[in-house]
Amino acid sequence: MSEGHTLQIEADGNHGGTCIPARPGSLLTDLLRRAHFPLNTRCGGRGLCEGCKIELTGGEMEHTTSVLAIGPGEHLACQCRTTGHPASIRIPARSLLAHKPQVVGEFRINVPRARDPLCQFVEIEAQGSVARALATAAPGHMTRLAPHIEDKQSGRLFVRLEYRGDHWLATDIVSSPPPRLLGAAIDVGTTTVALVLVDLLTGTITGRASGFNKQTHLGDDVATRIGLCLYDKSMVGVLRDAVMRDTVGELLAAANPSGEPLACLCIAGNTIMQHLAAGIDPSPMGTYPFAPTFLGHRVFGSPAIHLLPSAAAYIGADVVAGLLASGMAYDPQPALLVDVGTNGEIVLQRDGRLVGCATAAGPAFEGAGLSHGMRAAAGAIERIRIHTNPFRVEISVIGHGTPIGICGSAYIDFLAAGRSCGLLTASGRFDPSAVPDAGQDLLEIPERGKALRIGRTRDNNDIFISESDMAHLLQAKAAIAAGIATLLERENISQTEIRRVYLAGGFGMHLDVANTIACGLLPGFSPPQIQVVGNTALAGAYLAVLDASALREMDRIATRLESLELNLDPGFEERFIDHLSLPDQPFSPTPIN
Amino acid sequence: MNELQELSASVVKGNRAEAARITNLLVAAGAAPLDIVENGLVPGMSEIGEKFKNNEVFVPEMLIAARAMKECMTVLEPLLAQAGIKPKYTAVVGTVQGDLHDIGKNLVAMMWKGANIGVVDLGTNVPPEKFVAAAKEHNAQIVGLSALLTTTMPAMKTTVAALRDAGLTGLKILIGGAPVTDEYRSEIGADGFAPDAASAVDVALRLVGESA
Repeated sequence: MSEGHTLQIEADGNHGGTCIPARPGSLLTDLLRRAHFPLNTRCGGRGLCEGCKIELTGGEMEHTTSVLAIGPGEHLACQCRTTGHPASIRIPARSLLAHKPQVVGEFRINVPRARDPLCQFVEIEAQGSVARALATAAPGHMTRLAPHIEDKQSGRLFVRLEYRGDHWLATDIVSSPPPRLLGAAIDVGTTTVALVLVDLLTGTITGRASGFNKQTHLGDDVATRIGLCLYDKSMVGVLRDAVMRDTVGELLAAANPSGEPLACLCIAGNTIMQHLAAGIDPSPMGTYPFAPTFLGHRVFGSPAIHLLPSAAAYIGADVVAGLLASGMAYDPQPALLVDVGTNGEIVLQRDGRLVGCATAAGPAFEGAGLSHGMRAAAGAIERIRIHTNPFRVEISVIGHGTPIGICGSAYIDFLAAGRSCGLLTASGRFDPSAVPDAGQDLLEIPERGKALRIGRTRDNNDIFISESDMAHLLQAKAAIAAGIATLLERENISQTEIRRVYLAGGFGMHLDVANTIACGLLPGFSPPQIQVVGNTALAGAYLAVLDASALREMDRIATRLESLELNLDPGFEERFIDHLSLPDQPFSPTPIN
Repeated sequence: MNELQELSASVVKGNRAEAARITNLLVAAGAAPLDIVENGLVPGMSEIGEKFKNNEVFVPEMLIAARAMKECMTVLEPLLAQAGIKPKYTAVVGTVQGDLHDIGKNLVAMMWKGANIGVVDLGTNVPPEKFVAAAKEHNAQIVGLSALLTTTMPAMKTTVAALRDAGLTGLKILIGGAPVTDEYRSEIGADGFAPDAASAVDVALRLVGESA
């Protein structure tokens, strides 16, 4: 390495700068990583996101895909190579990598994030103008002063900046910033709502809560709720209050008992939930051609409520958030995201193209509408194993206490294990002759057919799975499986060509992948292809609240995604009926008697 | 068990390969297509309908059975047409304008065929004038309107009005779909309401004056 090939680095929290030797032709992101300035290269250094944006303040670089020299201005570090000449760069704080991908209780995040929360305090040295000081202290942040902020101030000050989509708004000036700022990431589902409270500086989760969406009292599914608004416009406000005040408000209070003020909130729901959260009439989405009133990022209120961007009427912000958090939007190879909720969404990514569809699965896997179904929460049976010779049902309960109900992952175990030992027929009926000693646990429930006792509550009441429950589960399973099959066939790609399937949904991180395949929910895939990513809507909302560039990425993903209407596909119904049965056993069960 | 009974049993079980095999066998042996429908398929679908009403059969099994029956009808319908055999009653069905869901409507169509009612299926997102034109063209006694969404129910009202305005005498309009109620039927002036596909047969037959 010869003298003179140097790179001058100026970064946040690195006063005075650093000068490192730079061999010509080095990739800037590699060089910076070795110099302990790892950048946010969440797209894998493929120039697809803006995570590693730097500012070239002097000298020149070369663009990787062309030999063209590039001069001062903003560039993506992953697309820059050093030349034989000295150069100087400035790394904005938001491009510095804050954390590695992580698993956080109910979700998994596969992409790194930067430190650029939607609400932050910026330190300035003002000499008569806050606006001018901000321009140097927070470059790249298009800032405006809120009307009540007086510009003529001097001294060492901390300005509170709030992200507003196309600019940052200075809303407060203090002499010392609060010790921490709290934000909330919220997944608003049709049936369930889950949220986490996040320390905006560290990304630490300081509280969590989840519960049923109280809009459910007004209507079970989105169509019913849209219908309410169609006939009576005052229902828009009633539904908004049911979700924002009575559900989100109460869950926030539960997660934040000390009542610490929140700096900002990010909501990732389906498109209908996003409309209702904003108090906007979702009626136009009730009939074909399902026209949403808005799709892009929206921010309102104080503290700021951010509605994450949606892609289409039936592919909402929850899915867009998942496409970012799972990293699928950047996968170099074909990948599939399957989000199992009341509306099941399926998105295929191939060569950077995103195509998605929604399928009406119903809330069965979220535990709603079943005899003893419940959400994955303390007291839920989350795993079921069936032993034969002698027959015995083994369960694991979340929190290890006495069970109170059964959640989605256990129902999936039951479909697979029940079928594999022959206790369940292909049509989801009990066949007592296959497992004669199961008889003691088989019940007859009026109007619901036979049922198998899975456990008992503290009050000694039976917790069971009935044939009528099976019918609901089979329809939910068939809707997802047929959706996947239809999308793959439309896009002319086979299961084996898909490198990774990201399985998302509120049924938690403890889903058994082999059973998910065995019960027919993910037909044609094999366990190594599947990654359980949990509640990716919540994961995406968590990323967005901590990193404004993640939010902008979601806007880009949402715009890119093409949506497909399954009901218009002539083969969908045929496949739906195909998948209404449980798969045939891979081999004949050993005769038991 | 004779072959017609076997055919019924395979429809009830939803075994479509077996149902198609027996149908083809019967056709090849010279059985009259109408006889196969009336004595093989109709008893099978009627058994499924009864069991459904008694909660002995759930939606998945009903859909699977209907598909087995559909497989047989694909073989038999051209033969019936060739022989100039027309069912006693003809029904026009469709999902109303703005609604793309058709699984429920398709099931009703199969149940009606299984009761030997001729069915003209107009598909989904059907505008009122198309229902009127088809009812006239096929001289239908019954029109079945389906809506799966609360949001598309108003299209039922406009379709009923259009059919009434067309002055089709004796035409019976039957409505159904998840959010539809008998109260709504009386509100929009339809003749019959069926809460599920199995009862759609009884209601249709009652409306045209047959005892179900």
